[in-house]
Amino acid sequence: MTAATLPSSSFPPTPRFWQNRTVRRFARHKLAVVGVAMITLLILACVFGPYLLPYDELYIDLRARFAPPLTGYHIFGTDPLGRDIAARLFNAGRISLLVGFFAMVLSTVIGTVIGVVAGYYGGRLGTVLMRFVDAFLAFPSIFLLLALAAFVKPSPFMITVIIAVTSWMEIARLVEAEVRSLRERDFVLAARMLGLPNAWIMFRELLPNAIGPIIVAATLTVARAILMEAYISFLGYGIQPPLPSWGNMLNGAQQYLDKAPWLAIVPGVAITLAVTSFNFIGDGLRDALDARSDLN
Amino acid sequence: MSDHNKPLIKTTRRQALGLMALSASGVVFSGLPGFASAMAQQAKTIKGQLTVGFSQEPTVFNPHMPHIEVDEGVHFSVFDPLFYVDADGKFVAALAAEVPSVENGGISADGLTWKVTLRDDVKWHDGKPFTAEDVKFTLELLVDPDFRSWRKTGHEFVRDLTVVSPTEITWKMEKPFAPYPSILASTFITPKHILGAEADRNTAAYNNAPIGTGPFKWKERIAGDYILLEANAAYFADGPYVERLIYKYVPDLNVLYTQFKTGDIDVVGLQWITPDHYDEAKDLEGKVINIVPGSTIESFTFNMERPQFKEPAVREALYHAIDKQSIIEALYYGLPSPTESYVPQQSIYYNTDLPKHEYSIEKAKTLLDDAGWAEGADGIRAKDGVKLSFTCSTTAGNHIREQVQQYIQQSFKDIGVEMTISNLPPAVMWGDYWMLSQFDTVIVGLDFLTGPDPDTSDFFRSTSSPAKGGAGQNTWQFVNKDVDDLLAQGGSLFVPEERKAVYLKIQNVMRKELPFLPLFQYATVRGHKDGIEKVQPNINTRIDTWNVATWRWA
Amino acid sequence: MLSYLLQRLWQSLVLLLLVSIIGFAILNLAPGGPLSQFALTPGMTREALDRIAHQMGLDRPLPIQYLEWAWRLLQGDWGKSYRDQRPVLDIISGHLFATLLLMISSTVVSILIGTWIGIKGATKRYSIFDYSATVGAMIALSIPTFWFGLVAIYVFALKLKWLPAGNMYTIGDQSFYDYAIHLIMPSIVLALVNIAVWSRYMRTATLDVINQDFVRTARAKGLTPRRVLMKHVVGNALLPMITLAGLQLPTILGGALVTETVFTWPGMGRLFLDSLGYHDYPVVMGLLMFSAILVLLGSLLADLLVALVDPRIRLG
Repeated sequence: MTAATLPSSSFPPTPRFWQNRTVRRFARHKLAVVGVAMITLLILACVFGPYLLPYDELYIDLRARFAPPLTGYHIFGTDPLGRDIAARLFNAGRISLLVGFFAMVLSTVIGTVIGVVAGYYGGRLGTVLMRFVDAFLAFPSIFLLLALAAFVKPSPFMITVIIAVTSWMEIARLVEAEVRSLRERDFVLAARMLGLPNAWIMFRELLPNAIGPIIVAATLTVARAILMEAYISFLGYGIQPPLPSWGNMLNGAQQYLDKAPWLAIVPGVAITLAVTSFNFIGDGLRDALDARSDLN
Repeated sequence: MSDHNKPLIKTTRRQALGLMALSASGVVFSGLPGFASAMAQQAKTIKGQLTVGFSQEPTVFNPHMPHIEVDEGVHFSVFDPLFYVDADGKFVAALAAEVPSVENGGISADGLTWKVTLRDDVKWHDGKPFTAEDVKFTLELLVDPDFRSWRKTGHEFVRDLTVVSPTEITWKMEKPFAPYPSILASTFITPKHILGAEADRNTAAYNNAPIGTGPFKWKERIAGDYILLEANAAYFADGPYVERLIYKYVPDLNVLYTQFKTGDIDVVGLQWITPDHYDEAKDLEGKVINIVPGSTIESFTFNMERPQFKEPAVREALYHAIDKQSIIEALYYGLPSPTESYVPQQSIYYNTDLPKHEYSIEKAKTLLDDAGWAEGADGIRAKDGVKLSFTCSTTAGNHIREQVQQYIQQSFKDIGVEMTISNLPPAVMWGDYWMLSQFDTVIVGLDFLTGPDPDTSDFFRSTSSPAKGGAGQNTWQFVNKDVDDLLAQGGSLFVPEERKAVYLKIQNVMRKELPFLPLFQYATVRGHKDGIEKVQPNINTRIDTWNVATWRWA
Repeated sequence: MLSYLLQRLWQSLVLLLLVSIIGFAILNLAPGGPLSQFALTPGMTREALDRIAHQMGLDRPLPIQYLEWAWRLLQGDWGKSYRDQRPVLDIISGHLFATLLLMISSTVVSILIGTWIGIKGATKRYSIFDYSATVGAMIALSIPTFWFGLVAIYVFALKLKWLPAGNMYTIGDQSFYDYAIHLIMPSIVLALVNIAVWSRYMRTATLDVINQDFVRTARAKGLTPRRVLMKHVVGNALLPMITLAGLQLPTILGGALVTETVFTWPGMGRLFLDSLGYHDYPVVMGLLMFSAILVLLGSLLADLLVALVDPRIRLG
């Protein structure tokens, strides 16, 4: 780290200090641990599951349609085209989780950059940026999602971008507030007096101090992104068949609710599991990163 | 079924030549009262209420403004045309005292002079008498440049509209236009004394509280929910038989079916019961379930300007690779009927002699091999640098069609053709994307015919492609000199047998050229409660409630 | 105070302007248009569609269309629906009741239950109750609403046949009982998420207060735990709750959207989806502006309420 040669690095508490304590506290948070375990299992299942199953997730066999779970080797049954649901579920998981993860990365980056800039400079620039954030927040997110989905060809990449574009605002707000409160702190003033470039101060001095809330928000954003993908794919504007995603597996399931309820139940449970896991982890991180909870 | 009793411009079973002779001999009125008016003489009891469920919301109540099918459901209840088309494809008089024909002198032999006699016992819902002035007003409104008329076709040829007397109107046609009777059969007459008095007819209050001559009067509308109509006891023709008629909007087909099952809905209207519910529905207690052929033809449509589809061999090979049988049997539960034509099989113009489709992956491969499309390293065929790879679009949310799409995708993959699915929301799909031929391929259900008339110039004429500046809906960008000539010929013929020969030929060319692969003719599953009478399908109209006047509880 | 209000108001107007421009641009630049729904009408031609588009003024440059729309809006004219030509405000107010009914009943349910769970969880932190409440809330937050609605319909309407599968009432029978029985499933499905949200916020808010010095001081002064809880904790925790309530105001549109779709509830959410589907721009824009105004009012109201309730906070 070149930062070691700079005096400024000694002003804020170094990340390593709270990291250890955080890890310990996080490990004490049972739900968070359960969340980590569940998501690890899910990821393992999605990565290795498809290799263990005797079916291809895309293979259509109209003679085998609507097989209920546990028919032969179809552990979760088959869909209206006779494709194996388990194979689709695991492959869909790869896509849904990846979309969720990268949507989080992208929206966190957008939100953080805008938040840091707005919070650090404040004044007119900050106001303009934050009003822009407010304007985006004033739209129902489903409007933005559907309107944007009409513009682009719905590939997994574009869906990721669309979700990110519609979910960066909260992180921006959070970061802005955090940075604004840190802006006048001694270490920032000192860095400024030393003539360090603004970009350095923003991203090397201020950002590490706001990293806790960002991590929490990012974790929750993964959860939300997975839900959003499910929702737009459920409406038919998301990931396009035959590529499976948890959302588009639910698309059409309503029609067969009476006849083949497993079509709705299996992917729904997968989504709930994944989202719950991320919410657990987020909650654990929040508690672990929240200094005040030590007081009791 | 007789082959020649359902054509245009006549109401009786006579040969075309005889028809001409009759008109020449000056026989004007047959003197027979219409079936409808005969029924009206009998005492009728008006009782109970009927709830009809639609999966789309009727919102346009001025029948001359742009609207969708369900809106016509309301139009048929509140308004009347001069005459309408019944389930057999015959014209039946409504506001007209009789259907104008060459035979009765209503239409001159060259099709250029029209004379329509009107009933003298019709009143608008507000009690004012209906007269020829209303007909004149309506036909003029349809071509009024300031009015958002949804259809000028046919009406734009009308000249010299003259009100001879309150019960007689005459006009001239600028040129013979054979489909005009079919168009008039869905042209509802609107009141001059109300709509005519409005300054801006596009935004008139009338458009949301229509007054007509029909069997039901407008009562109220709860937007997003239902429309309530009341019996018009003074209706001039047969009916109505129920006190209240409710059009309920249920935006989801599953919920629509569930509500029909639970009895909240008496008659399932457009888009009816989904095929996958048919098995269960047909055994429901206290419900009558019918399979009704629709006029919609499902097709796999090509954009002929794409280099992949220029060769007939490619289109034919792809046709061979589609497993029509399985699609119909498994995915559509055996309901629709396979077809080779764009004309519904119930039409007298349907060509029964078209070559039958054969599902054969081998033939498909051979055709492509012979045409020089060789498989590349990626397993996709190519020729002269053009890859046999394309997108296929349809309306997102049509689940069965999406399944069909994926099934076809797999078959195409087997013959070395890559098809990518790219579905769009309806408002995007049917906008410029469809109209300006921005697609590669589309799976679409189209009604090629307007009512019973076989003219398809707007679809097939080479000058009808919007992408090339045309005015029609030839989105395939199909160009064929023979078809152009045949269409022109068919549009100016008034003798049904001669017309038929022309349209059979067009079907032959279309089957050979395959600008679209005909998959099947839709059949819909319709249902109503036991004890409701006269709910009768009519392939010549777009909506179930064409005869709602006569619906009744037993 | 006054200058603060004026400043907020000014900012709000700028925001509304921004929202309207973004919304208008997204809507009108997206492919497709309000006339595409007529494209498949038998006999419909490109020529006719172009003519109607011209008559409706849809072929004019977008900035001009926007300015005209905005100018009319300033004069109180929200425009007319492309679909049924009715004034947009009439249409919105026509759908307001259904949404309000659903929102209010589900909000009452969720606030009562959520507050109770939240406070109890916070005061008995790490108890079994707290754990199950936390886990329950997390799961409730994670279940996709549309899916939960489907499962509820499957169980209670299709299998058990206890409740109707959708709609607000049976036509012809619009009694109180009829409304109530239709309201149960959607309001509970909608409340589930909100219970989770409220209980989480309440728990956090209560914890924040519990940890503050004045509460510990009060406890040290010998006040009974119950009195401390009631007087200080609940009193103070209500502040963020009020803010939350204010911020929840705009969810009237977005929040109920999914639930309304699944249960075919004739409210604003469904109006929004329908209008968006048909590209009925005037109605969509009206709903967007309506929701944006609610967002602004909500946050303003929340700030003001907090200021009124808590003398420590000065606006400025």
